[in-house]
Amino acid sequence: MASATLAAAPARLPRAVPRWVWALPPVAVLGLVFLYPLALVVQQSVRPDTGGTSLKPYADVFASEAFREALVTTVWLALGSTVGCLVLGFALALVIAFVPFPGARAVSRFIDVFLSFPSFLITLALLFVYGAKGMANGIWTDATGAAEGPFQFLTTPWGVLLAEITYFTPFVLRPLLAAFSQLDTAQLEVASSLGAKPARIVRRVILPEALPALAAGGSLVLVMCLNEFGIVLFTGAKGVTTLPTLVYGKAILESDYPAACVVAVVNIAISVGLYGLYRVVSRRAGA
Amino acid sequence: MSGSGIRFDRVSVAYDGNTVLHALDLTVEPGEVMALLGPSGSGKTTALRAVAGFVRPASGRVFIGGTDVTGLPPHRRGIGMVVQQYALFPHLRVKDNVAFGLRAQKAAKAEIPGRVAEALEMTGMGAYAERYPRELSGGQQQRVAIARALAIRPGVLLLDEPLSALDAQLRSGMLAELARLHRELPDVSILYVTHDQVEALTLADRIAVMDRARLQDCGTPQELYRTPRTEFTASFVGNANLLPVTAGAGAALLGGAELKVDTGGVAPGATATLCVRPHLVGLGDGPNALTGRVSEVQWRGATHRLYVDVAGERIKADVRELRTPPGIGDQVTVHFAPEDAVLLTAAVSEGAAASRRAGVAADG
Amino acid sequence: MLVHSRGGRWAAWALFAVLFLPLFALPLLVILAASFSAHWSGAFPSGLTTGHYAAATRGESLQALTTSLVTAVTASLLALAAGTWAALAAASLKQGPRWSRFAGRVLDTLFVLPVAVPSVVVGLAVLVAFSEPPMLLNGTRWIVVLAHAVLVTAFAHQSVSAALARLDPAYEQAAASLGARPSYVLWKVKLPLLLPSLSAAAGLCFALSMGELSATMMLYPPDWTPLPVRIYAATDRGSTFTGAAVAVVLMAATLLVLLAVSRVRTRASYR
Repeated sequence: MASATLAAAPARLPRAVPRWVWALPPVAVLGLVFLYPLALVVQQSVRPDTGGTSLKPYADVFASEAFREALVTTVWLALGSTVGCLVLGFALALVIAFVPFPGARAVSRFIDVFLSFPSFLITLALLFVYGAKGMANGIWTDATGAAEGPFQFLTTPWGVLLAEITYFTPFVLRPLLAAFSQLDTAQLEVASSLGAKPARIVRRVILPEALPALAAGGSLVLVMCLNEFGIVLFTGAKGVTTLPTLVYGKAILESDYPAACVVAVVNIAISVGLYGLYRVVSRRAGA
Repeated sequence: MSGSGIRFDRVSVAYDGNTVLHALDLTVEPGEVMALLGPSGSGKTTALRAVAGFVRPASGRVFIGGTDVTGLPPHRRGIGMVVQQYALFPHLRVKDNVAFGLRAQKAAKAEIPGRVAEALEMTGMGAYAERYPRELSGGQQQRVAIARALAIRPGVLLLDEPLSALDAQLRSGMLAELARLHRELPDVSILYVTHDQVEALTLADRIAVMDRARLQDCGTPQELYRTPRTEFTASFVGNANLLPVTAGAGAALLGGAELKVDTGGVAPGATATLCVRPHLVGLGDGPNALTGRVSEVQWRGATHRLYVDVAGERIKADVRELRTPPGIGDQVTVHFAPEDAVLLTAAVSEGAAASRRAGVAADG
Repeated sequence: MLVHSRGGRWAAWALFAVLFLPLFALPLLVILAASFSAHWSGAFPSGLTTGHYAAATRGESLQALTTSLVTAVTASLLALAAGTWAALAAASLKQGPRWSRFAGRVLDTLFVLPVAVPSVVVGLAVLVAFSEPPMLLNGTRWIVVLAHAVLVTAFAHQSVSAALARLDPAYEQAAASLGARPSYVLWKVKLPLLLPSLSAAAGLCFALSMGELSATMMLYPPDWTPLPVRIYAATDRGSTFTGAAVAVVLMAATLLVLLAVSRVRTRASYR
């Protein structure tokens, strides 16, 4: 019986095109416009102007004070912003989700709109609020008659920190709100019927549920802060240099391509590494 | 619409090394309604998907109308299929949903409206041609899904739990509809996957009982109900008392009691399972009488269900509603006719696997 | 409900207002206010004027607006095509055997990579690669469009991938069982069902491209200055009020297009 079956010619049609063939065009395009240019950057980073192939550009860049300062500034700004975004985002999401008020939906809508605007608008706005001639200093000088207001932090890293926290908090808010909307409110009611105080409910019930979303949102914000350029550029502070502005400065202002490529490679390594971590975390969180 | 049957020839399906269908041998004759009945995870849906071409067998071959379709992509198999959630295309009107298969197969343009109307009339949905699926109730969507599958005039219709998303009342109505459709289309072979024994018993010419990736039993509904070959069939198709007994000569021993049954080929002294349907157990003295204590009484309207503990076993008896039902703890006698009992080889206590092997052997 | 007492609720709302309004609403309001004012030397802006808009909607600024719109539309369409194609190819690969599923995941990873790479670096890379023949794009508008497309493709790919993963395979299978070839299923079932997600992805890509500054700063030729560069140039030379007006134009243009896209989306999903 079985042999008779095998003997009969099966009605098999060869697949016209195997499915991996369909993957080739997009990969080829991506390779041409993204992967190959990246490879060129890596290649240029080991080609000093003097010719040949060496790690001299790396040694030069690593030895420079400007690079080390930019690296430290970038990392601490990114870490500080991330922490700030997480704390602020968690607090705001708690209120939106669990202490509902009329207009909470409008707030969510506003956050979506906010996310579609470029980051540098925040710095531009902060110039009007905290700038040397801005609103806050204006109120102060009007009130005290002093010649100068006390808010002079905008051109320091603190200004960048404030702008980054403002701009990136919605990126934490959104996954958090999504996670909260899936939280069973019955859990909260049971907890509070058992006499748990709000603080305790937050710590014991809400926070554990929110951890995956916090982790995913936090790592995304960390990567985006490491790569942020517009906010730093608009601050116009010569004192604040991060890796992305250093790349810009070396390449465009100084035309020192090998150095720019070295900084770029370092920046890529940090960001891609963190982004890989983010993908792992968010996949584990099911986000 | 020529009749074309389905044949599984030792079809096995595995996902990541997990066998979900094990060497299925089964033939659906042209024009036959075959129900694949089993609990979830029994492999019944996988078998259907192997016919449709959505899973590729690890080994074995699938035939439709005598043609080996194992290597054919789904769209070349000429099947109609209706799934649990209907899968009507939400962006198309009812008539365009029904015409989809005809257009996809490049049927003559002039022919399409007539065939769409015909399919919609057959399912009683002619008045809804201009609606979108979301404007229809669940039962109506189901009818459209059936019309869509029938419009391409398939030789084989695959129904995957088609009624499970409907409520009980709609379900019995649709069961009658499906039976009528089958009478109107006597040449179409239907493979009907369900976990509901009522659907299978009502609709099928034959039932294939599946469990744990294997075919356990196959036969007409009457055969499976009256003379199940395995414990699994006995308990899944209808309700059953399954009592561990020792076979004797023309009798089975339950505890100390000797029960007259047809022992068939079971060797005396072997352990076996005695299957008696609860509604065939009578209250009071009679042949094969067993005395025990009532442990539970349930009133079910037309009947009373008594649970009687006899020799450490609990016997279920469905009797016509009693004026004065016994109380819990009362001593009662129950009985059953020798011809109402079936002796199954392999004891209850010996574990399910052994009895299943026996079932497959009996089937082959 | 987490806080039951009336006082507690008001306290929570007050805290929310104190945090939310100054941080998120104020910046946008301030830009709007500044764009209409002549001076801002005290607590509040003064001298209502539409003069900045007159400057922001003619000459170079008007040209910047059309530049931005053309760039964003072109880049979004390119990104949408590439991202959708890649997402479809990856999804199809993931239905195959083990090596094929692995290839599908690799494809997905490759296409999200541009998100992780800093956009300044993408700008630098494109600059390095396309500054020499045979692929000499440096100095043309195409290098800006290309960089934008690269940057937003990842987002298009991600949204389409997510939508594909959510798409019930029953539709595709029902279509196949009715005799529809894979290409017919793609055009008649999958793409129509994906239309809402595709338009959402298009809106996202458009918004991102409209606000793109970092790679653009590395690449823009003098005759192809998008709005963000224009805003930077204005603020850098001290005309912050003009900058604010151009920024409002940028925001308004983005919002209008997003609104139009979301209308398309609602229509598509209610058909």
